[in-house]
Amino acid sequence: MATKAKERTETTASLPIPVEKMKQLYAMMLRCRTMEERARILYKQSRFSGNYYAAIGQEAIEVGAAIDLRPSDCVAPSHRDFIAGLIKGVPLKSLFSQLYARKTSPDQGRSSPAHGGYAPLNIITPASTIAAQWNIGTGVALALKMQKKDDITMAFCGEGATSLGFWHEAVNFAAVLQLPIVYVVQNNRWAESVNIKYQMRNEDVATRAAGYGIPGISVDGQDVVAVYRVVQEAIERARKGGGPTLVECKSYRWFGHSEIDPAKYRDAEEVEFWHTQRDPIPLTEEYMRKHGVWSDEEKQQVLDAFNKDLEEAIQFAENAPWPEPVEALDHVYSFSIRERALELDRKTWTPQALKKM
Amino acid sequence: MALVTYIDAINMALHEEMKRDERIYVLGEDVAVMGGAFRATKDLLQDFGPMRVIDSPLAEGIIVSSSIGAAMAGMRPVPEIQFSDFITPAFDAITQQAAKLRYRSAGSQTCPFTLRVCYGGGVSGGLYHSQTNTTWFAHEPGLRVIAPSTPYDAKGMLKAAIRDDNPVIYFEHKKLYRSIKEDIPTDDYVCDLDKCAVRREGSDLTAVSYGYTMHLMLQAAEKMQQQHGINVECIDLRTLNPIDYATILDSVAKTSRLVIVQEDHRTLGIGSEIAAIAAEQAFDCLDAPIMRVTAPDVPAIPFSKPLEEFYMPTVDKIMAVMEKSAQY
Repeated sequence: MATKAKERTETTASLPIPVEKMKQLYAMMLRCRTMEERARILYKQSRFSGNYYAAIGQEAIEVGAAIDLRPSDCVAPSHRDFIAGLIKGVPLKSLFSQLYARKTSPDQGRSSPAHGGYAPLNIITPASTIAAQWNIGTGVALALKMQKKDDITMAFCGEGATSLGFWHEAVNFAAVLQLPIVYVVQNNRWAESVNIKYQMRNEDVATRAAGYGIPGISVDGQDVVAVYRVVQEAIERARKGGGPTLVECKSYRWFGHSEIDPAKYRDAEEVEFWHTQRDPIPLTEEYMRKHGVWSDEEKQQVLDAFNKDLEEAIQFAENAPWPEPVEALDHVYSFSIRERALELDRKTWTPQALKKM
Repeated sequence: MALVTYIDAINMALHEEMKRDERIYVLGEDVAVMGGAFRATKDLLQDFGPMRVIDSPLAEGIIVSSSIGAAMAGMRPVPEIQFSDFITPAFDAITQQAAKLRYRSAGSQTCPFTLRVCYGGGVSGGLYHSQTNTTWFAHEPGLRVIAPSTPYDAKGMLKAAIRDDNPVIYFEHKKLYRSIKEDIPTDDYVCDLDKCAVRREGSDLTAVSYGYTMHLMLQAAEKMQQQHGINVECIDLRTLNPIDYATILDSVAKTSRLVIVQEDHRTLGIGSEIAAIAAEQAFDCLDAPIMRVTAPDVPAIPFSKPLEEFYMPTVDKIMAVMEKSAQY
């Protein structure tokens, strides 16, 4: 059932998508790259703690897939999808507050850096348990179908997640109930230190779709136009009641699993190849040049504007208040447990008989 | 009023709530066409149709995790786990997702669903159709864990759970399904999920239990009165998390003795927590050590009749411990 996307075209034929969309995709990839490079530096400078999971080098996937989502569409991100927030329109100040674990973050300093959700734009606050958001996003799609809306869920995961039992439970469930969801697997060939050859026997993750009777397609995850076109088709199908699609985007994880992983388990030549030959941003630039729609000035304008916003957001986060310690007791239930928790520490009962004396 | 069984009360609550609120749907194995393995969801399909009464694939993980997502998106799911023994594939969904979603999103994303779980022994169900694993979930802040013991509560607590803004695990005891009847209102009412119920007033000893063993505790209390003149106050725990410790400690302050009865095995059961709270906060009130009647620490309820009987708490076992406490 899985089919390969067409090889990237090198002809000078007209663009397969409108010029403005092409520019929008490129500009968003550039912003994602700029933001994540900055986040990595800030982490290495210990400006925020915890960890960071960069999707640098994989931007074409997330940008191509999510660029046209509506605010009312749900995104189910994994730990490596921090840029989903930027693409969907989360304010940079919120995003950096999340990295800095400040009171001003959407989760008020609770979740680990890069595990960012945002309720106003229907981005699920993710857990670290792999493929959890894949399942919850499937439930959101069930609600959307029941509510007869034409919104959809877009769920992201890596290829490692596809080994988990409940990854399969979710896809089968969505297939049986024909739910409006687009499953996007970012196959970056490395699940922490485990290479894909130890993860699965089959070459393409997308072939797994056949087992559930849904369309599955593998696409070059470094080609933002290819991802865009394939995912647009899947989104359209989902909105019209045609059920789920499994899209596999073939890519490569540029750095370690996280910033504390030097990834010494990898072949340096392989890493070098993906960095120098398969970087989606220069590839897109080159493609745009060939089609005569490239402009150095526009690139600079995008960067200048974004860097200004980025600086403001970082300053905002660095100066933002920390949560009050006792807030650790909040948001456990719909009711407050503060009084109860404190009372359990200090209140004692005396015998009723003594009280009467 | 109508004289109904425990399972009829559950079915009545589901019908009433689904009629009241279109956001409510039922999802689980065999819940639709068959109306549930025990018929708890009987006639729901014919009354509410296949979009609201769904026979799910055989996959507990997605039964619960899809309910989390749907609840987050505005629905009020009432998923079912057919036997609590089969709840483990949904463990991540329940403990890592449902219990933590509100917390990890600082209240901006929540999942108010009611997971009905059929549990409990004493029915010759064997190792994997008898377990009382309520404590696994009572240990998780963020979850409300409730276990009604009467038809009145079965209806009123289920309705309250469905309307509650928290994820609720509703444990329904299969031995109670058709073994007890009670006159309950046929119109709308809800129970308070924050409170224990004092089922029998007493002055000499406080006993606490829930579910099926709550009834054994009551029978033991009557016999203690008749045979020994000992007046036992019986508290039905009803909510296993968060526990209404004030009602229990008020009673201990009155009686000075505490016996906890649980169908679950001993180590780190709900009785352990109640005992710890009483020891910490009502130490001066106690005239005897806190005592427990529990199942033994074996992995599950064995099938063969004598083995199961040895495992389960009984009226005699409970009376023996009540006597020991009273005589201390």
